[in-house]
Amino acid sequence: MDFDLSSDQSVLAEAIDNLVGRHHTLPSVIAAHYLPGDGLDSDLAQAGFFDIARSEGMSALEAVLLVERVARAPVAVEIGASALVVPLALPDHEISRPVALADARAGSPVRFLPGASSLLVDAGSEIRIADVSRLNIEPISSTFAYPFGTLTSAILDASEPLGDVSVELLRQWRRVALATEICGAGKSALDLTVQYVKDRRQFGRPIGEFQSVQHRLAECTMLLASARMMALRAALTGNSLDAAEAASLAQEAGTRIHHETHQFHGAMGITMEYPLHLWTYRLKALQGEMGGLVAQTGAVAALRWDDGEQP
Amino acid sequence: MDFNWTREHDAFRARLRDVLKRHLPDDWAEQSRYDTSSEYTSKFSRKFCPILAQEGLLIPHWPKELGGEGLDGFHHWILGEEMVAAGEPRSYQYMSVNWVGPTMMRYGTKAQQEEFIPKIKSGNFIWCQGFSEPDAGSDLAALRTRAERRGDRYLINGSKIWTSGASFADHCLMLARTGGERREGITVFLVPMKHPGVEVRVIPNYIGERTVHEVFFTEVEVPAEWRFGDESNGWEIVTYILHQERVGIPRYAFSMRVLDHAVELLKKRGAFSDSAVRARAGHARAACEATRYLALDVINDRVKGRPPSAKTSIVRYSQVRSDRLVADFLADYLADELVSGQDRMIASGYKRTGSVGIASGAAEVQLDLIARNHLDLPRRR
Ligand SMILES: Cc1cc2nc3c(=O)[nH]c(=O)nc-3n(C[C@H](O)[C@H](O)[C@H](O)COP(=O)(O)OP(=O)(O)OC[C@H]3O[C@@H](n4cnc5c(N)ncnc54)[C@H](O)[C@@H]3O)c2cc1C
Repeated sequence: MDFDLSSDQSVLAEAIDNLVGRHHTLPSVIAAHYLPGDGLDSDLAQAGFFDIARSEGMSALEAVLLVERVARAPVAVEIGASALVVPLALPDHEISRPVALADARAGSPVRFLPGASSLLVDAGSEIRIADVSRLNIEPISSTFAYPFGTLTSAILDASEPLGDVSVELLRQWRRVALATEICGAGKSALDLTVQYVKDRRQFGRPIGEFQSVQHRLAECTMLLASARMMALRAALTGNSLDAAEAASLAQEAGTRIHHETHQFHGAMGITMEYPLHLWTYRLKALQGEMGGLVAQTGAVAALRWDDGEQP
Repeated sequence: MDFNWTREHDAFRARLRDVLKRHLPDDWAEQSRYDTSSEYTSKFSRKFCPILAQEGLLIPHWPKELGGEGLDGFHHWILGEEMVAAGEPRSYQYMSVNWVGPTMMRYGTKAQQEEFIPKIKSGNFIWCQGFSEPDAGSDLAALRTRAERRGDRYLINGSKIWTSGASFADHCLMLARTGGERREGITVFLVPMKHPGVEVRVIPNYIGERTVHEVFFTEVEVPAEWRFGDESNGWEIVTYILHQERVGIPRYAFSMRVLDHAVELLKKRGAFSDSAVRARAGHARAACEATRYLALDVINDRVKGRPPSAKTSIVRYSQVRSDRLVADFLADYLADELVSGQDRMIASGYKRTGSVGIASGAAEVQLDLIARNHLDLPRRR
């Protein structure tokens, strides 16, 4: 039992922070619901970070450290699927990125589908794959801070079963990636808000002096710490129950954090110009992914008290 | 980073389980009702703790010079988890192990250490903590019990409230004011419960048989040697104790056992296929696990010799939340068992939630500490 990062892991985390930190600068005008992360994406690729989980001496934990840090950035980059899900759930497959992940529901919006090279579909009893680089993708104009595209029946029809891949394993690592992305975006939203309540003054004092503000931010802190701890644990143990617990805690934390961080920004928080939405509208998008909180807690129940999840 | 237990940790846990299996009677649940404060449990602890001592399992994390095994703090935590999950057969002697002993080593005089360390090690000595007073709860620095110096003695007058185990404890570690205001002028004393002028009244309550008491000190004369630490140094000692105490009881260990048991009962009656029920159980389980790992992270800091931090309060608040999720699950889906009280584990698992957000510091106080010390938010004016 050791909760400290090894010295190699600390060095790695710092290197990621430095790289991602270069992309934390906000444009002078935020005119879109999300900021495309092409620059960060190519820097990550150049540094070889997308292959982190397959690198010598590294594994899921290093990937989680990466995904969390990338998710803290204001730009939206497809990271969870490429850096965590594919290498851990489909280690023997070469799958070109960016990778979009979806459930087999025709008509549903899928994160990162526009611009994706591959699409992986959880079709219940099997995993299907589609080369979407040459398919026609309908982008969705959404306020939720990712590029979304519609999963059409045509795309589903063009997909093929990916043999010898465990559906359970894919779900497990999707949950870890989901939890980690929520933790990253949640941390940035919370940090921004903590600073805001220290600076913003009303009634002759910083609003962060009010106990109701303090307590609710403290509760968010606890929820986020819980989710983060369990995401790290799920990465280290590679256990499906741990992954479901991490995703449960993260979806709960994300929901609470987006409500509270907006609340404490008052009207400023609902504007396009103020950057809070870059993270909170990701949290809102992630809140319902993979069926949402009840699906994750239901998975915890199945994995803890039954023989596992039913397809 | 590594979340695996070492082989030593696993073996240690196995030994504890073995000792529990051999020494807890078949009717343990019925007799103890999983109540730390019951007469049965406290008496049982006076037989059981000497067995733990003999097996080297009472104070495994204490240094060898003091009769411990010199094992790391994770062993202490594993000990706590196994005992709490079993329904705490040590009764309040867990306090000796968790904070009285360590505080004694740090602040006690040589004579005090020589007197009390062997008593704690014998496994037949129960302490109580005399901090709270009628007008000093969350605001402990408002305490008014006085200790006046009279030559080489002190005269103590005042009263304590909510004192756990006071009616069967042997000794009290208590706070009194020797002068000054607020945090200044608080001094710690070690007073035998049988000492003239000390009177105890049990307060009937919903948590446990003898969980809370009033303790009255009327013209209690104590020699200066019973003072613990320097005069007016009480607040420093209190801070030290609270840090040991607040991440001291792995309450989730019992809550998780209760939850497993609750699910078994629901399954037996075919009520565990309902998705709402399953989701609620899964939610409670995830929250308990999070509490567990947040607590272990604090133990990790302890093992590495780092000073206590606001993480302690995060764990405490997480504990409040996860215990409540378990209790609400019981109340919603096992209401019959709960009301009839026949199932001891369900009853106890539910009952103890009544104090999780209050004992050893109210939940709101924990949130204040997180806001101030972790988020660095401004102090209220
Ligand atoms: C089962 C149990 C065992 C105990 N055992 C012991 C023991 O052995 N020895 C001992 O000395 N004490 C013991 N206590 C006492 C315990 O430490 C106090 O109950 C606790 O510190 C709270 O004090 P209080 O009960 O006077 O509540 P109060 O201080 O009156 O507070 C009541 C409520 O007000 C709110 N509140 C208080 N302060 C604030 C604030 N700053 N901000 C916002 N809200 C606030 C909280 O919701 C709090 O619960 C025990 C208590 C319980 C329940």
